[in-house]
Amino acid sequence: MSIMQYNGGSTIAMVGKDCVAIACDLRLGNQALGISSNFEKIFAMTERTYIGLPGLATDVTTLHEQLRYRLNMYTIKEERTMEPETFIHLVSSTLYEKRWGPYFIEPVLAGLQRMPGGSFRPFIASTDLIGCINFAKDFVVAGTASEKLFGVAEGLWEPDLAPEDLFETISQTLLNAVDRDAYSGWGAVVYVITEDKVIKRTLKGRMD
Amino acid sequence: MDISFALTGKGYVIVAADTTAARSIVKMKSDEDKIKVLSPHLLMAFSGEPGDTVNFAEYVERNLRLYHIRHTYALRPASAASWIRRSLAESLRSRSPYAVNLLLGGYDTATHTPELYWVDYMGTLTSVPFGAHGYGSYFALSLLDRYHDPEANLEEGLATLRRCIDEVSKRLVVSPGKYKVKVVDKDGVREIEL
Amino acid sequence: MPDGSYERPQQRQFNPYSENGGTILAIAGADFSVIAGDTRQSEGYSIQTRYAPKVFRLTERAVLAVNGFAADGNMFVKKVKQRLEWYRHAHAKDMPLRAIARLIQTMLYAQRFFPYYVYNILGGIEEDGTGAVYSFDPVGSYEREACRAAGAAQSLVQPFLDNQIYFKNQTPAPGASHPTHLPLPDVLSIVIDSFTSATERHIEVGDGLEIYVVLAKGRSTQELASIGGLQELSTRAEGDRMFVIRRDLKKD
Repeated sequence: MSIMQYNGGSTIAMVGKDCVAIACDLRLGNQALGISSNFEKIFAMTERTYIGLPGLATDVTTLHEQLRYRLNMYTIKEERTMEPETFIHLVSSTLYEKRWGPYFIEPVLAGLQRMPGGSFRPFIASTDLIGCINFAKDFVVAGTASEKLFGVAEGLWEPDLAPEDLFETISQTLLNAVDRDAYSGWGAVVYVITEDKVIKRTLKGRMD
Repeated sequence: MDISFALTGKGYVIVAADTTAARSIVKMKSDEDKIKVLSPHLLMAFSGEPGDTVNFAEYVERNLRLYHIRHTYALRPASAASWIRRSLAESLRSRSPYAVNLLLGGYDTATHTPELYWVDYMGTLTSVPFGAHGYGSYFALSLLDRYHDPEANLEEGLATLRRCIDEVSKRLVVSPGKYKVKVVDKDGVREIEL
Repeated sequence: MPDGSYERPQQRQFNPYSENGGTILAIAGADFSVIAGDTRQSEGYSIQTRYAPKVFRLTERAVLAVNGFAADGNMFVKKVKQRLEWYRHAHAKDMPLRAIARLIQTMLYAQRFFPYYVYNILGGIEEDGTGAVYSFDPVGSYEREACRAAGAAQSLVQPFLDNQIYFKNQTPAPGASHPTHLPLPDVLSIVIDSFTSATERHIEVGDGLEIYVVLAKGRSTQELASIGGLQELSTRAEGDRMFVIRRDLKKD
């Protein structure tokens, strides 16, 4: 059994029209034994940048703390918030720093990128555990249910979804994918990020 | 193998751990205290590799005591848990990692809430309504799923704990005989005879 | 060793199995059944052929999809067809679907200790005129279901089917309920979407798609009229009718 599957858990991010969504399950287990149904894997990094960190649970916390620290240092020195596209490179280099003894995390990022004109552009990306970035235009997935997430997302997702439709799409994708994965599930959390607000919803899911 | 349980209730956290110290097939001691009192409102049940356990528990105890002396107030449960987790996470990728699993039960005197954290040797930390380590977890968690009530008073909480202990005694081949039970609430920590 | 002796006895091993990719899928309707499979056959990263059928017509009202180790699959279909022919000679009629399902179980379990490395999905029309899907594991455990995906992209397709066919995680409007069987055009769209999705994300799926449609006796063929690449396979105009739809999938 791979260390990436030790605690279980999955994350997904999707692009919509002028919005992005990111969602994760809530399970934390030790192999087949469920420990907690309240383990969130998504963290707010800036007002409009959220990161999902599925993988080894100890590294979820460690990497979150590490990224938060580096982001805070940037914010203090630069006196501005970091944009998601910059942030994913920070994530990448933080992971690659540990190339030969990696954090066992495959991050998924969703955010709104501030454009020169002041408008916002949806941005999602993911990386592998050593920081190789995947800039996708549609959706990104990671975690123990990643294969299932790919299958359902490929079937349900379409371009230019409005926030509420994007919420429904990402929720259905996550819920149905994790129901076929023994290591993911036990509830879910969904964030929909729009220009003026971020909506967080906690979903009930199958508890088996 | 050590067994420890913990559960939250209305304004309290109960932490229980067996009292056996065994080496191979021999019981060396049957009144070992595996629950450290880290601060006036914080308990820590520890289990895992013999030697590592006590050493790590004392390391944590001394450091939190130092914090208390320096600042005149103790770390709140969430912060203490976070510091302890980091110690374990850093130890994991060191030359000689600690193999220690913890249950941290505390009462936050600022928010007046009981708090319980499940921590393993890798530095996995999660807040739980109830938790267990060791072989006991395979029996206790399903019972706690059924009987745990976050609004239960201390009597009811102890009755639920009793169920867990009885089940382990009944079904586990290598079940320990005695348990030490400690409670933390607004009045601090105290030991309870079951 | 120099004296001609060996440190260890020599060992040789032959692996009698291979895995040839591809995916199959079947969905049952109230009075029809749809059985589909892609046509790519691969071994590792190499494509052996872009057209190797995995779905086979057994009788006028039964279709078998076979996925896994292609050599075993082909031999298994051959043997099932042979048993069905013997049945026809003995009883002067086709074997009913539920009997074929039980036959397949027996044939698979007969090889319990040297199994056919294949996942079978049997689709067709029961004697009572209802659409049916039976799915099997390699040693013969089987079950009648409304839908099933198997093969390389099972993990991609099955959760999608749970959502679209069984309406899992969807709450019906107050007072309403989800249909137990979907109409044929909806089923065909879902099958095509499933395979285009699987082709997009799975390297072992693609090239071509064969969709077998079995319609119960007396059922209108109206809904198939507008479908491109349709071919009728029925030998009799009365009775159950069978069609195959052949489509292209991406070849990359």
